[in-house]
Amino acid sequence: MTDPVGLIGNSSALNRELPQMPSLGPPKAGGASFSDMLQEQLDTVNQLQRDAKEAIEDLMSGRRVDVESVMIATAKADTAFRLLLQVRNKVMAAYDELKQIRV
Amino acid sequence: MIDGVTNADAIPVLERMVQFAGQRHRLIVNNIANFSTPGYRAMDVSVDAFQAQLSEAVDARRKHHGASGGELELRDSPMIKYDSIGITLHPKPIGQNILFHDRNDRDLERTMQDLAENFMTFRVAADLLRSRMALLNTAIRERI
Amino acid sequence: MYGAFDISTSALVAQRIRLDVIAANIANQRTILNENDEYEPYRRRFVVFGEGDPARGQTAGLHVASIEIDDSPLNQKYEPGSPFADADGYVSYPNVNPVIETMNAMDAARAYEANITAIEATKSMLSVALQIIA
Repeated sequence: MTDPVGLIGNSSALNRELPQMPSLGPPKAGGASFSDMLQEQLDTVNQLQRDAKEAIEDLMSGRRVDVESVMIATAKADTAFRLLLQVRNKVMAAYDELKQIRV
Repeated sequence: MIDGVTNADAIPVLERMVQFAGQRHRLIVNNIANFSTPGYRAMDVSVDAFQAQLSEAVDARRKHHGASGGELELRDSPMIKYDSIGITLHPKPIGQNILFHDRNDRDLERTMQDLAENFMTFRVAADLLRSRMALLNTAIRERI
Repeated sequence: MYGAFDISTSALVAQRIRLDVIAANIANQRTILNENDEYEPYRRRFVVFGEGDPARGQTAGLHVASIEIDDSPLNQKYEPGSPFADADGYVSYPNVNPVIETMNAMDAARAYEANITAIEATKSMLSVALQIIA
C-alpha cells in the first residue's frame, strides 16, 4: 500500500512538519519592519506640522514677512498629514478584513 | 482634551490677528469717512506694538508648553485691550502728515494703503485659520 | 466690523449732500431774484461736516452738521440801467465762484470714491470671515 504522506503506521507522522511556507516570523536583525516605517513617517509628519505652526506664528508676530513660504510650508504639512491619514485608514481596513478570516 | 483642540497648533495666534485686523478695519474706515471734516485727526493703533506683544506671548507659550498647544496670554496695553473672545482698540491720533487749512491732517494715499494692507493681513490670517480648523476636523472625522 | 458699513455709508450720504449744495451754487450763480420774484441775490451755501452720526447714535462716521450761508460780500457789477441797481449804479450778483465750486466738487467726488473702496473692502472682509466656518 502506498503511503505517500506517510501518515499510516508511523506514530511520529503526526509530528511531521507541514510543507515549508515562507516564514513570517520576527524580522531579521538590521531590517526595517512596517511598524518602524510607519513610526518614521509619523515623526516626519509631526515635524512638518510643528515647523508649519512655528512659521505661522512667526509670520503673525512680524518675525518673518514671506507669506508665500509660510503658505507652501502649511500646504505641504497638510498634504503629508492627509496622506498619512489615508494610509492609516487603509491599514485599519486591511486589519478588519484579516480579523474576519475564519481559521 | 477640548483645550487641546481649541488651543492647538497656531490657532490662538491666528485668532488674535484676525480679531485685531477686524477691529482696525473700522478705525481706518472712520479715517476715510472723515476726510474732509475740519479739525479731524487720523486715529490709529500701533501695529508694531501689537505684533511685539504677540511675539512675546508666542515665546512664552512655546517655553511653557513645548511644541504643543496651550493658551496664548496677552497683556493689556493702553491702546489694545484683550478679553477672552475679542480685542478692543483705543486709538490715538498718530498723524504724521501736515495740517491742512481746515486743521485736518488727511493723507489719502497712506490711508488707502493702510486699508489694503490691513485687509490682506486679515485675509491671510483668516485663510490660515480656516485651514488649521479644517485639518483638525479632518483628523476628528478620520475622513479626508 | 459691522459698524464699518454704517461709517462708510454715513460718509457717502454726507458727501452727496455736499455735492448737491455745490450743484445748487453753480446753478444759481447768476440768480438775483428769489422765489417771489423779489430782488434778493442768491448767496453761496456751504456744508459744515461733523464727526459721528447723531441721527443713528454713532460716534464714528460723518454727518452734515449744518448748511451755512456764506456771508462774504456779493459780487458787484456796474449796471446803471438795471432796475435793480443801487444808488451808485451797482447790481449785486451771487458770491459764487465757479472755479472754487468745481474744485470742491472734485474733492467731494474723490472722497466719495474713497468711501466706496472702503465699503468694498468691508464686504470682502466679511465674506472671508464667513469662510472660516464653511
